[in-house]
Amino acid sequence: MLEVRGIDVFYGDAQALWAVDLHVDEGEIVCIVGPNGAGKSTLVQAIAGLLPVREGYIAVDGVDVSRLPAHRVCDRGVAIVPEGRRIFPGMTVSDNLDLGAYRPDARRRHAEMRRRVLDLFPRLEERSRQLAGSLSGGEQQMLAIGRALMACPRILLLDEPSLGLAPVIVDEVFDVIGEINRTGVAVLLVEQNVQRALEIASRAYLLSEGRVEMAGTAAEFIGDAELQRTVLGIGPEAAAPAVSLHEPADQAIGETDA
Amino acid sequence: MARRTLLALAVAFAVLAAVPWIREPLGVPVFYLAFGALVFFWVAQATSWNLLSGYTGYFSFGQGAFFGVGVYTSAVLSGRGGMDYFLTIPLAGIVAALLGLAVGGVAFRLRSLRGEIFALLTLAVPFILASFARINTAIDGGQGIVLRIPEFPEFLGGFQDLAYLLSLGVAGLAVGIAYVAQHSRFGWALFAIRDAENVAEGLGVPTFGYKMLAIGLSAALAGMAGSVFALQIGFVTVEGTFNLTVPLFVIVMSVLGGRMHWLGPALGALIIVTLQDRLAAQGFEGYSLIILGAILVSLVLLAPEGLMARLRPRLLPVVAAAGAVYLALAVTGVWGAPLDWFAVALVAAAVVAFWPRRRTVAAARAAALGGIAPVEEVEDEDLTDTAAPEALPTPPAERAIGRPIIEAHDLTRHFGGIRALDGISLTIHEGEVVGLVGPNGSGKTTLVNLLSGALRPTSGDIRIDGRSVLGLPAHRLAHAGAARTYQIPRPFGSMTVRDNVAIAIMFGREAASLATARREARQHLELVGLVRHADALPGEINLHERQLLEIARAIATRPRVLLLDEALAGLNPAEIDNAAGVVRRVHESGIAIVLVEHVLRIVNQLATRVVVLDQGRLLAEGEPADVMRNADVVRAYLGRRAHA
Amino acid sequence: MIILQAAFSGILVGGLYALMAIGLSLTWGMLKVINLAHFGMILLSAYLTYAIATGLGIDPLLTIVATAPVMFVLAAALQWAFQRFRVSEFNSLLISFGVLIMLVQTISNVWTADFRRLGSDVNPYSSGALSIGPLAFPMPTLLAFVTALALVIALELALERTFAGRAVRAFSEDPPIAAAFGIDHRRIGILLAGVAGVTAALAGMLFAIGGSMTPSTALEWVGLVFAVVILGGIGNVAGTLLAGALVGIVTGLVTVLWSPSAAPLVVFSIVVLALLFRPRGLIPRGGTT
Repeated sequence: MLEVRGIDVFYGDAQALWAVDLHVDEGEIVCIVGPNGAGKSTLVQAIAGLLPVREGYIAVDGVDVSRLPAHRVCDRGVAIVPEGRRIFPGMTVSDNLDLGAYRPDARRRHAEMRRRVLDLFPRLEERSRQLAGSLSGGEQQMLAIGRALMACPRILLLDEPSLGLAPVIVDEVFDVIGEINRTGVAVLLVEQNVQRALEIASRAYLLSEGRVEMAGTAAEFIGDAELQRTVLGIGPEAAAPAVSLHEPADQAIGETDA
Repeated sequence: MARRTLLALAVAFAVLAAVPWIREPLGVPVFYLAFGALVFFWVAQATSWNLLSGYTGYFSFGQGAFFGVGVYTSAVLSGRGGMDYFLTIPLAGIVAALLGLAVGGVAFRLRSLRGEIFALLTLAVPFILASFARINTAIDGGQGIVLRIPEFPEFLGGFQDLAYLLSLGVAGLAVGIAYVAQHSRFGWALFAIRDAENVAEGLGVPTFGYKMLAIGLSAALAGMAGSVFALQIGFVTVEGTFNLTVPLFVIVMSVLGGRMHWLGPALGALIIVTLQDRLAAQGFEGYSLIILGAILVSLVLLAPEGLMARLRPRLLPVVAAAGAVYLALAVTGVWGAPLDWFAVALVAAAVVAFWPRRRTVAAARAAALGGIAPVEEVEDEDLTDTAAPEALPTPPAERAIGRPIIEAHDLTRHFGGIRALDGISLTIHEGEVVGLVGPNGSGKTTLVNLLSGALRPTSGDIRIDGRSVLGLPAHRLAHAGAARTYQIPRPFGSMTVRDNVAIAIMFGREAASLATARREARQHLELVGLVRHADALPGEINLHERQLLEIARAIATRPRVLLLDEALAGLNPAEIDNAAGVVRRVHESGIAIVLVEHVLRIVNQLATRVVVLDQGRLLAEGEPADVMRNADVVRAYLGRRAHA
Repeated sequence: MIILQAAFSGILVGGLYALMAIGLSLTWGMLKVINLAHFGMILLSAYLTYAIATGLGIDPLLTIVATAPVMFVLAAALQWAFQRFRVSEFNSLLISFGVLIMLVQTISNVWTADFRRLGSDVNPYSSGALSIGPLAFPMPTLLAFVTALALVIALELALERTFAGRAVRAFSEDPPIAAAFGIDHRRIGILLAGVAGVTAALAGMLFAIGGSMTPSTALEWVGLVFAVVILGGIGNVAGTLLAGALVGIVTGLVTVLWSPSAAPLVVFSIVVLALLFRPRGLIPRGGTT
């Protein structure tokens, strides 16, 4: 239902993504892993329409959304839980949730969705009159997820949902992601916590230096040496840095594989 | 070129100063003296405003206050106090300067000062002064003050001649100061503040001091011009002095003429005053402010760089247009007087200058530079990089580690309720390359900000060479030997690549003049391989090159420790390897390096020691290969399995 | 007693300052536009109120039917231009300064620079006053204060309770994320600027009822009204009313106890102190629970 084909994305004039291909099918959880600065967040923001796509296209249910402004992409059923949560800190929890249901389609199902979100996160109901900025990190993450659900998405983009959270809370967040997925919402998950992400995902992509380095089922990724090497930057070449600095990195990695 | 310009300025000044004596033989009516005095008054006002607001970018609406204080100093002292008028001119300058320093002393200390707040604060100053003058009847006397014409030497001619000469004197002083500023450390410090104030401070520019100097000088010139103006009009009132007319006019004049060039405001003043005068003479007085407003709106929207920037690439057509229009009107004699022809010629010149054209590279350059010539004495140098980047296979680990330079002890920094850094202790030694890594949000950039003095720690201590540098402004840390780069390059956009580096040399640990700095810039550009782009603007080079420029600019301050904040972000693999080579060369030149980096492959290659942060704490420290196999580090990067 | 009277009168006058400041504060805080032309629109509304009420011989309060739509369109058009040209916060200050000067001069050309005042034949409010015990509240400032109060309540409710209001607040806190949830910032911006225009119409009408006007009056408001905006907290509607009342009280008391001309001195000293110590306004919102 989500198809990304050959996109190049720039931050100003810095190219962050090179010809990235990716797809998410109905009801799937797909995760994107990779080292810091690999372009994972960029990819998610480009899908949500927050960054312009210079080459290639992004289709939701076969409709190209890559040239639409963000507020129109949302109408196609794409909702984002951004990195760092980015809830509206000066607004109440309740207002944050209602804002999630801003688009007309969602506004019609507002009461029903609100009920479902509050059942999913009872803590948000207790705190509904509080300013969102006063919530704890974990609660803010719940709120960010709840806000996205209010938009009745068909695909949910989650960017680093476990960032800065205590392990217990991380477990909770991952449980919720699974639960949401079971209601039929497809999930595209960007996560630094590679192990946890691979446990709930069906497929995964490894992104490195702005390119898709590897794609496959989650099972194929788990325990893969290549993955660990890319994320940590270690491997044979670190122990004996005989590789010339003037060869492009992907070639260097190819060599060590051979 | 610089000398020729000075000479031209002096000649122009001498010719204008001779007008009172050659006027009658030439048959120039006395009206032109009054007109000239008015033009010079506005030249002085606009140029003095620009010295502060154009050069530093802090727009001030307080010009009316500085001007008004000058007016009232002379009016009170000579009009009511009976002091010799000529003595009150410098006094007016001094009083205005004190007011300027007071305003600056408050405003520039505001932590969250932004341009808009500064503008509004200065907007309030004339109103406060006006009410102050109204309360203290000793100042105004209630009905305004009359200034008597002072006695002056007979050879000067009539009162009109005196007023003309005084105005010319102040205007000449203002333009001269603006010229000198633009060609000295002072002016370049102000330009750096305008382009990127925090960066300038980090490179060793004492920004607060220079801003105070700018506002003090600007206010002094405005005050002296006000003093002369008071004599010209002879009768001053609070309502006629402290209003928004002066700020409005100087802003329009400077925006029209160009705020980045010393001559811009003067040119703008000439055009606006001439237009105003002619419109009034034709009976269109009621439309002059509408035209002024329209000029301001359209300039800000369409040509914010102003006339001087437009003149450089098409000087000949502009002058030709003005000359042709004037001659045509003069020869045919169908309409108007010489001043009318002059006004029309000026308008024609401006129209030709602003005529829209395709945005060529040259035009964009001129706009960014604001009409300033990048290098005035073109040096005979070949713009190729001689230091060929070589393959650098040697492992760095055996480099000699020397004495400690920076010692950070128990650093903690909170943002609101969040602990971005929590008790970090770290020592950087001579000869080291310390890789500083950790997941997103682990506090790496915060640590760089603390070590470079951009932020202050909530608690803890930082020492350089054993001396605490806590609480010192960032430029002092730069002088102590700490330099940094920014993750997203922040070059001075209106300066060439060479001048970006030259600024850092001028204000670095060993101060240098502009000319010396421009010469020395080459060696730093060579080190990073940017010599062939020396005369390019930062906007014309790619991201990788701008990141190299960040490094060149930082090492130009002659630091002992270089803090590289993700200098490789957003680069492709080949560029990353090139940048890594540059980092290595910098290290080999004897500078210790703190390398904050996401590309761990590079950290592992370059670092002599790796420090891992996680959630604001120090997670691990040691040899790269060991640290990257540390179980805690693996967990921080890869996450842990569920507890199930 | 005279002090008490001065304080209460001051609060009421503060209502007018607040009325002038609300629109500015909204567009500055929410849209990052510093609209000096707002003062020109207030002045234009005042003159239109004067002209229509005098010309048709109707109650000046009725003129709002005509002035509000005009100001809505004017302000919305200006905002459209700001968005069209992607004008920065700072340039909006310069451009709207130019527009202000043009408006003031145009008004001066049409109505001359003489002082104008609604005649008592069409202005039933000019002489009335509400007396409570020994205190007297002149009708024009009372009307202005009540209007400001009603406007603040209405705007706060709209911002709190309606989808459009939430959208405005969300947009001001985090534009890209707001966009990701379907908020079209251009429409919201134009709508909000238009509403600010309507507040200018109200302020102008009430100013016309209460006092006499000359084109340069607009420039005299600038300092005090920005003091109210900054003290109230930029973008904070309720804070604007409180700050207006505070400035009114201070002005009233200083006038009685010291001298009328000392009032700006005291007010701006407070502003400078506030900028030094409470940069987010006297009653910052959003920071604490």
